[in-house]
Amino acid sequence: MKRVLDHIGVPGTCVAVLLLGCIGVFALVTGEDHVLSRFLTVENVMTILNAVALLGIVASGMAFVTYSGNLADLSVPSIMAFSGCVTVAALPFGLALALVCGMAAGMSIGMLNGLVIGRFRANPILWTLAVAFFMEGFMRFTWGNKQVYPDTEPGTAGAAFIHISQIMAGPVPLVVLVMLGMLVTGHLVMIGTRFGRESRYVGSSRAAAETSGLRVSRLVTLNFVVAAFAASVAGIFLTSTKKLGLFDTGQGYDFKAVTAVVIGGVMLSGGRGNMLGVLGGVLVMGILENIMTFCGITSFRQNILTGVVFIVIVGLQQHWLRRGGRDAE
Amino acid sequence: MYTHWTWVNMAANDIGIALRMENVSKRFPGTLAVDGVDFEVRAGEVHALMGENGAGKSTLMRMLAGAFNDYTGQIYVSNQAVRLHSPAEACGYGIGMVYQELSLAQPISIAENLLAGRLPAKRGGLVDRKAMRSRARHCLKQVGLDHLDPETRVEEISQHEAQLVEIAKVLARNPCILVMDEPTSALSREEVERLFEIVEKLRERGLAIVYISHHLPEVFRISDRVTVMRDGRHVGTENIADVTQESLIQMMVGQSIDQFYHQRRPTLGEAVLKVEHLTRYGFVHDVGFELRRGEILGLVGLAGAGRSELARSLCGLDPAHAGRVILDGADLPLEDYPGAVARGLVYLSEDRKNSGLFLRLPVSRNLVSALTASHSTWGVYRAGRDRAVIAEQLDALQVAAASPETDVANLSGGNQQKVLLGKWLAKQPVVLILDEPSRGVDVKAKRRIHEAIMALADAGAAVLLLSSDLPELVGLSDRALVLRNGRLIGEMRKEDMTEESALLAANGQLP
Repeated sequence: MKRVLDHIGVPGTCVAVLLLGCIGVFALVTGEDHVLSRFLTVENVMTILNAVALLGIVASGMAFVTYSGNLADLSVPSIMAFSGCVTVAALPFGLALALVCGMAAGMSIGMLNGLVIGRFRANPILWTLAVAFFMEGFMRFTWGNKQVYPDTEPGTAGAAFIHISQIMAGPVPLVVLVMLGMLVTGHLVMIGTRFGRESRYVGSSRAAAETSGLRVSRLVTLNFVVAAFAASVAGIFLTSTKKLGLFDTGQGYDFKAVTAVVIGGVMLSGGRGNMLGVLGGVLVMGILENIMTFCGITSFRQNILTGVVFIVIVGLQQHWLRRGGRDAE
Repeated sequence: MYTHWTWVNMAANDIGIALRMENVSKRFPGTLAVDGVDFEVRAGEVHALMGENGAGKSTLMRMLAGAFNDYTGQIYVSNQAVRLHSPAEACGYGIGMVYQELSLAQPISIAENLLAGRLPAKRGGLVDRKAMRSRARHCLKQVGLDHLDPETRVEEISQHEAQLVEIAKVLARNPCILVMDEPTSALSREEVERLFEIVEKLRERGLAIVYISHHLPEVFRISDRVTVMRDGRHVGTENIADVTQESLIQMMVGQSIDQFYHQRRPTLGEAVLKVEHLTRYGFVHDVGFELRRGEILGLVGLAGAGRSELARSLCGLDPAHAGRVILDGADLPLEDYPGAVARGLVYLSEDRKNSGLFLRLPVSRNLVSALTASHSTWGVYRAGRDRAVIAEQLDALQVAAASPETDVANLSGGNQQKVLLGKWLAKQPVVLILDEPSRGVDVKAKRRIHEAIMALADAGAAVLLLSSDLPELVGLSDRALVLRNGRLIGEMRKEDMTEESALLAANGQLP
């Protein structure tokens, strides 16, 4: 039991408790007896997975930024919007090339973030916030404050682009598969590669990583590129779903992704957590939203609740950390 | 009646004793830093407190400053038994500390720094700027800084002025006991003389001054009495007129060099590291030397002589403005520490808590933290290779940890230091730079660490040793360079090296 607890850790336990709590709330609200069996139907699970797929994709990248001790990438929404807009704009050159352009556009923002934060040690929150602000203005300027529409005539690249969000593999939408694939890949990268191991060192103590001879600024840059990669994928999916590119595509994904990552037990102070926890965090967010919508809680009030959950989790993390610090003395 | 008179007599005898510490002790995990020390300072005297690094001076003074709430023994201030469990209590009893590092807030004015927490207020809570200026002027006058405008920001004044402002800030609270910890390490000779004039004035005003310093001439110049500590214990207190430099050094070093070190017969190989004209403006000037395989080269110098700066510029952690570093016959690019590590030139940080260890990671992860490159193929980490390395280092250094998965933060200082060394031993370095490899560890751990260092050198690695611990430096080094004010002023051979000669050399008197 101890070993199991050690492995999933306190955060994992909390995720489980939160999940059960959510289901409990669901039971209370619906007032039904066999809630669990009703809750765990294939359709409902798929609904939830579909609803959190984009969040999961963004969080799988965001987790690397947090893990490596850089708090959060708040430029995620603008990366999503930019990659979507560029993809749509590049559709006349063919779908494949358009996707490549969109990914490259999004990842170039991540590269910029990483260089400035890694090499010049800018504050990650302030810098990415500034980038988000800049990109919003830049996109509105570039596309004349208008939405970018793909050509939806059947047989064109635009139609194929819009079809992306509708592809199903049996009962499972492509976007859900991509999310699971990215979380699993992220997990393997985090625990099984040199990059993942070194990121953990950087996240645990940047100063100690430097005196260990790690190329810290390069690692930080890579972590932001990974986050931008994930955000670009999500941005392209979201644009495909919405059938248009706009500067505010992806709004709200910054905070939601951080919340999912933090609920998932990745410490804001860096160096702790894993992707399994992030998956748990994403599911908690999805189920929470699912239940709140079901209960008829309006989206504003949902935001309030999400904010409260975030505050409570971060507070608990800080508490554990302080307790850990005292143990150290 | 009789008792009453005895008490009065005692009181009469004790008049003028500003501070008395009786049988005080302070234990840190794994080491007794201060061990049953008696220490007494009279009003109107400058009392030098000397001892090697790790002798317990700083711990004793931090105790006085209220840094610990778990010391044992009794402290009397002006013959009144007091309990100093917090800095506020210490301050309340009139104890003022001037630390080596400046504690001034750079971007705000001198006046606001001086009166921090006690800014004069007008009705309505606004700061009374006029009163603030005049009070600040008064404080500055005490340290001979009349010429400074109190509204100048601290970042605009020079280092030595800042040091004096620091003293003024402490004096502003009207202390009766003033502790100065190496106050001259950042000052030039003329500035030191100015500082001494101020100290003398304070002495005339009846302050009890504790003066911590390694600089022997300063101690003889300024102090009335001197107390020497060694290994956490009180060795002796003498009038300064009754001691000589030699007898003082003898008290500090004792007879602690044991035969343990002399068993080693180094077998020197070819020169593996060559340093030419290495310069970092303001810290290191035109330093050049060679280091051979199998050699342990010591670096002798006082605090502020630039030892760490030299080591950090050499390996690429800090900037270097000129010079060459040649490792194994090929140039090492300056300011590229990861590159240096990849080629086997590594630096063991003196600050194990902040920049040495990953405190929140397990012992095992710390031990393999420098091996991520060699344990990976095509970017995939081969965790299987870790186990042998971890077991080997835990065994070689006899790290006492509940399990390799214990967070390194939960280990005692000695075991933490072993882990830090183990991390670099696991890397099998060509040149290992050790900056205070046994700071703050107990005797057993220290011996273990020294054995490991000697074994490494015997295996053909070159070691550059920086240490303020003289027995360690003298015992381990096969040869030593003397560094003073950022310049190499000479070299000492093994035969000429004693703790006395090393201390004299560091003070500029070469054999």
